[in-house]
Amino acid sequence: MAGAGVRIEGLRHTFATKQGPLTVLDGLSGELEPGAYASLVGPSGAGKSTLLSLLGGLEPPQTGTVEVDGHRLGGLSSDQLAAFRSRTVGFVFQHFGLLDMLTAAENLEVALTITATPRGRRRRLALQLLDAVGLGPRADHRPLELSGGERQRVAIARALVNEPSLILADEPTGNLDDDSTELVIDLLESLPRDRGCTLVVVTHDRAIAARAPIRLRLNQGHLVAAP
Amino acid sequence: MTWRDAVAMAVTSVRRRLGRAALTVSAVALAAALLTALLTISSTAETRVLDQLAKGGPLAGIRVAAAEPDPGEIDQDDPKPGAPKVLDDAARRRIAALPEVRSVLPVVTARLFIANPSTAQDGSPVEPFLTTAVGVDLSQPSRLPITVISGRLPAVRSTTEVAVTQSWLERFHIDRKEAATVIGVEVEAAAGRLDASRSQRGTIRGRWVRYRIVGVVAQEAASGDLLLPLAQTEAARAWSEGGIDGGARTGLTRSPYSGLLVVADGLDAVARVRTRITDVGYSTSAPENLIASVRRYLGVVEIVLSAIGGIALLVAALGITNALLAAVRERRREIGVLKAIGARDRDVLRIFLVEATVLGLIGGVIGAAVGYLLARLVGIVVNGYLRSEGLPGVRPDVPVAVLVGVTAGAGLLALLGGTLPALRAARLPAREAIEGS
Repeated sequence: MAGAGVRIEGLRHTFATKQGPLTVLDGLSGELEPGAYASLVGPSGAGKSTLLSLLGGLEPPQTGTVEVDGHRLGGLSSDQLAAFRSRTVGFVFQHFGLLDMLTAAENLEVALTITATPRGRRRRLALQLLDAVGLGPRADHRPLELSGGERQRVAIARALVNEPSLILADEPTGNLDDDSTELVIDLLESLPRDRGCTLVVVTHDRAIAARAPIRLRLNQGHLVAAP
Repeated sequence: MTWRDAVAMAVTSVRRRLGRAALTVSAVALAAALLTALLTISSTAETRVLDQLAKGGPLAGIRVAAAEPDPGEIDQDDPKPGAPKVLDDAARRRIAALPEVRSVLPVVTARLFIANPSTAQDGSPVEPFLTTAVGVDLSQPSRLPITVISGRLPAVRSTTEVAVTQSWLERFHIDRKEAATVIGVEVEAAAGRLDASRSQRGTIRGRWVRYRIVGVVAQEAASGDLLLPLAQTEAARAWSEGGIDGGARTGLTRSPYSGLLVVADGLDAVARVRTRITDVGYSTSAPENLIASVRRYLGVVEIVLSAIGGIALLVAALGITNALLAAVRERRREIGVLKAIGARDRDVLRIFLVEATVLGLIGGVIGAAVGYLLARLVGIVVNGYLRSEGLPGVRPDVPVAVLVGVTAGAGLLALLGGTLPALRAARLPAREAIEGS
């Protein structure tokens, strides 16, 4: 699996509020090499999650360019964006984003269903990945039967199941205790190294942010290098 | 995402959210049960009423009398026949060959002396009497205007079994409710024949048979106290005709058949067949006008009952809409996650539509089954009442089309009810859905 190159240029994003338009991203530009590991920090409301959703194709950019792995997201239709998300991006959310009605393995299988992976391969791939994150024995447990750390590892496994080239993690340790945080961050950090994918981690935790080779900070709509 | 995957996901969703699904399914099931029960009861009532009108025979049945037709009789269900006329095999063949005639069954009557029992149920004496026995082909009961009130019909080949009619009960002062009390009673009956003798009046000799009553019937084949297999009345008749007067002394008519039971191709063909039989030269009767008007009224009743059930189903569909709209609100995060991992708008639409349809179909199946059981329960209660009144019971008539239609209708209405919530779910922006959680 090769990592995705990420390029943004002149990215501007504005929300309509009762008090008038609110610009959270104001002409951002920047680039990440394939296989890069970057952390993104910034105060609440700075636009970190917005930037992540634009990079992940959850919504098209209003102004400017977002290019991931050669895909210019601005010109893609809704279906093309969905296809991009399913093949190129893996999301890891603070609240895990697992479907509570499904078991750990089934949560991975849903992602494979969307990419039309043959039925016979789905279960096998799901179990392989759960094994890889140390949760093979918990494959048939539902999220509510797992600890926070285990749920986040299932979420990471699901993010990887379609072999994406870009992993976007939004506060992945925000709901975890220290031990689980360490496990999850270790697991995420292994991805650029072992799988070659590009990793962007949004966090409030300075210690976690400091572990990334590329440290970025969003402040008042602008992207700057963090110390 | 394929339809198959969407169905699998919807089934998993329903199975693992049983509490929520149970409430929605219950609403649909209740409505479907109500509709099934109403349609079943309506259909059974229609069958029962029409059966009563046709006296247990086919709705398209026509009785042909051994008599000349009355010129103005065609417009009447039960006209007075004209002068007696011989109804023989030639006439039977001509009628059978007419267009739109499905079957022709002969009715042969014989005159019998009844020697016992000699007392009525209330103890009053009953003198031996002369009566008419009606013979029909009992191997085709569905084509005969005969309703069994109690017991059963005589076996087709039996030479000793007989069924009695309501006029027999009246003769012995037996209330219809107690019809069953005559079953098993033995009756000695004889066909009479006038033989030549030294006296001028001749001698009557009897062909005696001991019959056992096996059933009580209401029948419209011909007027008579007894119902026998055709072969029995033919034998009795042949005996009487062998006399020197050809059976006239015992009141035997000259016509070999006292009537014919004709079945037309359908209710619509009855009038045309009656006209053709009149042209052949015989009097006919059929309850076609009565059946047609009763059917119209029953049609109105059915429409009203269907409307009540339909409204119930519509309310259930609104329930599904409401439940799914609530589900869309509650499952914003799930929708967002699905979109984040690459589900297209139409995949989400498909999942919610299939889920609504699955809920509707489950409700429909349960409802149809419960409705059927409800109809059976009502049937048991109604039968209890009918039997206490000495009337034949009913069997709830549940057309397969009703069961299939109600189930499919519930699924379809659920699909329609689920469309708005599904569209709303599909149009949820992915990011908004995730953040909304």
